[in-house]
Amino acid sequence: MLQCLSGSSCMRVIDGYKSTWYFLVLVLAYVLYLIFGALVFSAVELPYEEQLRQELRTVKQQFLEDNECLSNDRLEEFLIKALEASNYGVSVLNNASSNWNWDFTSALFFASTVLSTTGYGHTVPLSDGGKAFCIIYSVVGIPFTLLFLTAVVQRIMEFSTRRPIEFLHRRWGTSKPLLAAMHATLLAIITVSCFFLIPAIIFSVLEEEWNFLESFYFCFISLSTIGLGDYVPGEGYHQRFRELYKLGITFYLILGLIAMLVVLETFCELQQLKKLRKMFYLRKQKTEDQLNIVDHDHLSFASVSDQAASFREDKTELFPDDIVSGSPTATSNGSLER
Amino acid sequence: MLQSLAGNSCVRLIQSNKSAWYFLFLVLGYVLYLIFGAVVFSSVELPYEDDLRQQLREIKRLFLQEHQCLSEERLERFLSKALEASNYGVSILNNASASWNWDFTSSLFFASTVLSTTGYGHTAPLSDGGKAFCIIYSVIGIPFTLLFLTAVVQRIMVYSTWRPIMYVHTRWGLSKPLVALVHATLLAVVAVSCFFLIPAAIFSALEENWNFLESFYFCFISLSTIGLGDYVPGEAFNQRFRELYKLGITVYLLLGLIAMLVVLETFCELQQLKQLRKMFYLKKEKPQDRLAIMEHDHLAFSSMPDATIHSPHEDKTEPFVDFPVLTSPGGDDPMIK
Repeated sequence: MLQCLSGSSCMRVIDGYKSTWYFLVLVLAYVLYLIFGALVFSAVELPYEEQLRQELRTVKQQFLEDNECLSNDRLEEFLIKALEASNYGVSVLNNASSNWNWDFTSALFFASTVLSTTGYGHTVPLSDGGKAFCIIYSVVGIPFTLLFLTAVVQRIMEFSTRRPIEFLHRRWGTSKPLLAAMHATLLAIITVSCFFLIPAIIFSVLEEEWNFLESFYFCFISLSTIGLGDYVPGEGYHQRFRELYKLGITFYLILGLIAMLVVLETFCELQQLKKLRKMFYLRKQKTEDQLNIVDHDHLSFASVSDQAASFREDKTELFPDDIVSGSPTATSNGSLER
Repeated sequence: MLQSLAGNSCVRLIQSNKSAWYFLFLVLGYVLYLIFGAVVFSSVELPYEDDLRQQLREIKRLFLQEHQCLSEERLERFLSKALEASNYGVSILNNASASWNWDFTSSLFFASTVLSTTGYGHTAPLSDGGKAFCIIYSVIGIPFTLLFLTAVVQRIMVYSTWRPIMYVHTRWGLSKPLVALVHATLLAVVAVSCFFLIPAAIFSALEENWNFLESFYFCFISLSTIGLGDYVPGEAFNQRFRELYKLGITVYLLLGLIAMLVVLETFCELQQLKQLRKMFYLKKEKPQDRLAIMEHDHLAFSSMPDATIHSPHEDKTEPFVDFPVLTSPGGDDPMIK
């Protein structure tokens, strides 16, 4: 009995520490990944930045030499004003006079990018009122967007994932995890084609200054909601049908975001990824009775539904698709008997 | 029997349509909210934009008037070059020569904003290689970030939410939903103070051009991961300790994002919000046997744990419900027996 008890407590300690060690490894890996990215970006981009600075210096020097009456100080002063306005999306160039940043379709485009947290920043609120409204609008709108997207994705998942897998499972008799993995891969390929490659081709045709990589880069930066804002469509100087184009892009971004979430959700459902995630999550204590189940339900983590799913797996161990190694110290669940 | 069956199907049909109607209202509400925002932004900002354009035109006209030898065409071409470089974060101004966009700390700052999908855009990759790497880096890094943040938030939730609520519930005997609601409100107040008001005060002190609203605006735009990039700290011309400052901001943004997720998670757990969400979600069919549970488990939506967790628990824990639960009249679950 003592031997059994000490063995049990020893295993529990090891299990507890195992999860903690995995978590520490995860944190360390994240920091290393950040540093790795910083090093690569710095190594790749620094030469180009230096080259561009040299080029600018040369252009400025040439400009001053060509115009004797112009003093360096006055030019500097003028440029500060021009660049500051450019930061707010208002250009000093003559060509840009016909494009407004805050007409209805542009404002709609801005609102949708704010709610989706993409935030290009090609136009930004100038006034204090605009900034304050942006804060309030987003506080209400971002949770609203999360609810909207979740409801839409749930309905799409029913037709794009659950039913196809059920159908194939019944027809071919293949195991569900394998079908899910194949289906997820196929879905990812279709999504990349429909929401990245094809739109990238369209953008590279419509935007005269973009090549394919730049268009693809824009699609990726947008649908991942990073939104760097170095490429924003519809900002060309002689854009035809600008309002309609802006509206179309807004629609594309919302649809694309939904597609991204569907694919992300589909991959999250894969058994392989579930097991990977469980390594880093806290191990939940098994509940002993119904009262604890109620307590657990009220306080369960939404982001670790897999833990709850694995809890239900314990109840259904009579029908395992794969061999689940039961812990020798697992306490018997009274709920199985009811 | 037939009457009972007809009644059941009728109730199920109404409930199914009810969920669909709620969903349509949600979609319509979202579209209306977008249009509302567009109208307000347009009406508030358009006058300021027009005013700024007038100012620019006047400044330019005066500038050309004062310097006769300068032609407008030459100035236009020069400005076009300068503005294009500014779009990539490289400034033509003399003062900007001292600070680089792609030194290590700036790159680290950029990488963290990309992985968190904030993306200020104050600097952007110039080269094709940088753009391609940014795509690959993000494809791997963003799911990695989600995993990292989820694991961190889960651990913090144990100490920030679960244990305090259990403690207060055990000691004071208040009902759990009420304690959770009070706790969530208190947590939100603390988070807003520690990650918005105090940092906003700090930024308004450190950044000479920012007032409090602008600093608060920056904190909000950053922690919500919108990242418009109109205000980015550490970009001033004579910034002291720039590298350390950039590093501090990176840490602040990461901690702030975690805090935001903790608060969001805490509010998602509230019973009131759970019930609100269920209105818009598809109603799940109750599982009839264990095999169905197994299949259901494999395909369960991880984004809607309430629907999956709650159903079997509610059936089993009927004697312990804290609030009345409307049971379907046709719900005969063999697991109850």
